[in-house]
Amino acid sequence: MRLRPHPSTGSLMLQLVFSGVAIGCIYALIALGFVLIFNAVGAVNFAQGDLLVVGSYFGILGVVGLGWPLWATAILVLAGSGLVGFLFQAFAYYPLRDKPTINVVISCLGAGIFLRNGVQALAGPEPYTMAPFLETRLVTIFGVNIPSQSLAVIAITAMILAFQSWFFAFTTLGRMLRATANDKYAARLCGVPVRKMIALTFVVSTALAGLAGFMLVPIFLASPNMGSGLIVKAWIGVIVGGFGSLPGAVLGGILVGLIETFAAKLISSAYKDVITMILLMVVLCVRPQGLFKSPVSEKV
Amino acid sequence: MTKRWKAVLLIVLGMSLLLALPFAVKSAYHLRLLNFVGINIILVLGLNFILGYAGLLSFAQVGFFLVGAYTGAILAVDFGFSFWLALPISAAVSGVFAWIIGIPTLRLRGHYFAFATFAFAEIVRLVALNWQEFTHGAVGITGIPSPSIGSFEISSDRSFYYFILATVVLGAAVAFRLERSSFGRALFAIKEGELAAESMGIETAKVKMTAFILSAIYAGVAGALYGPLNSVISPDVFSFDVSVVVLVSLLLGGAGTIVGAIVGSVLVTLLPEWLRVLQDYYMVVYGAGIVLLMIFLPTGLLGAARALAVRWTTKPADAAT
Repeated sequence: MRLRPHPSTGSLMLQLVFSGVAIGCIYALIALGFVLIFNAVGAVNFAQGDLLVVGSYFGILGVVGLGWPLWATAILVLAGSGLVGFLFQAFAYYPLRDKPTINVVISCLGAGIFLRNGVQALAGPEPYTMAPFLETRLVTIFGVNIPSQSLAVIAITAMILAFQSWFFAFTTLGRMLRATANDKYAARLCGVPVRKMIALTFVVSTALAGLAGFMLVPIFLASPNMGSGLIVKAWIGVIVGGFGSLPGAVLGGILVGLIETFAAKLISSAYKDVITMILLMVVLCVRPQGLFKSPVSEKV
Repeated sequence: MTKRWKAVLLIVLGMSLLLALPFAVKSAYHLRLLNFVGINIILVLGLNFILGYAGLLSFAQVGFFLVGAYTGAILAVDFGFSFWLALPISAAVSGVFAWIIGIPTLRLRGHYFAFATFAFAEIVRLVALNWQEFTHGAVGITGIPSPSIGSFEISSDRSFYYFILATVVLGAAVAFRLERSSFGRALFAIKEGELAAESMGIETAKVKMTAFILSAIYAGVAGALYGPLNSVISPDVFSFDVSVVVLVSLLLGGAGTIVGAIVGSVLVTLLPEWLRVLQDYYMVVYGAGIVLLMIFLPTGLLGAARALAVRWTTKPADAAT
């Protein structure tokens, strides 16, 4: 819906920047959850995309199904996703903690298939959508019309990021989570309940994915199978930002969102995914430690 | 009877059963299913080189499968190549792809390699989907001709069965031979510890590359067979789900074993048939089953069978010590 017939190049750029950053924020939230789990247990959670879908459907259940207001639905999404995250680690990760990584990866893939198809069995395969969070659809900034949902996504993501940096830096619980991620044995020696911290990491990470999934519904058509496409973008963000780095995951996710949006508009929308994939390959080959991370001694 | 003769007898018995199987199978549908089992076995045997022996998680198998299938189909349909020429070219093209992808990515470790192979598989699928002029886009390539020997055309599912069976046997024999070569032992050493293998004088980079190329060649052959069997190929066949199927097949049977690769492929391909009753819930059960499999059978059926055999043959007195 373009209100002015010929937007200038500058305003088009600004429009692309906003929608790119918005979609990038979604990727960043998935990437963040992904890195939290990776740092805590050294496992790559292949089901993160499907955990996001669960969040989307909790949102749909709240807003469309039950007619709840947004704030109540947000609580439902956080609580529901958190619970699913707890069950996820209890069944699909914890029994496998001493097994080879490949078994954990396949188990996560299996759990993802279970979740995705469980959602489909309960809600049906038809895609859902809902109205944007704000009443007005478009907001004008510097004479450019920006979809309000993009702004909402960016604002909410910024708040979540501010909260989580505060949480991890200044609270005892956050410090215990960081200690667990850093060195489980040393943390246990210091009296940190490692088992509980790992479970909590999964809960937090799934809640983040769930919230991302909820914010996504007004932008995307939500369907049970949308997770795999989204998680790929989040992975690319994680690797581009530097595996294991939290700020890197956020920046990487936003960068992927921007590149994708610009590639779709300026090069070809059919090949936008190929372009982000090629970005991944190039980063992996040229700078596997990521763009925003200083070279480390750990060999990748 | 010596051990060797027992093995020969077992193989002869197994082969005659397999040769007679198409006559026991009634419907064309089930025969077609058996042929898909065979193609899955070839894919999994290939994956076994890189994942089972070298211990590297690769999602590239479906990408090589696609490359093989499209190379074969484009050569046959657009350029009129005979199948017998297209088959080795498909295998070779897949191998070359593996070589090109392998140069930068095999240096990477663990999950980085997994991501890179995943990206490769996605890129080739997206290119196949979007490069209309060359790959015919989402519609795919139709009317892929059947191979023929002289005037005999391998077009019925039954004749295809024997052809695929022969390829599977050949592929398994090659894998069996390689497993017991210095190459196989080098791969195993890399899986156990790359640094240690290197310090023993194993050229790890070269050995891993060879395993990766071999896995691609198997997938290329599988692709070249799949096209004529199905007579149609389209990009949606070569999705991530195929990667999951081949991975689960290998891990269900037992990674690093040829028998395991075969048993796993048969079970995973036929499972949807046996679990028809579940209808819409099949995929839910399938996902949960994968998780349970990883928890309770981490070394696969073959690994579990071996552990049981060890327990039975060990006397309680030995076990106590």
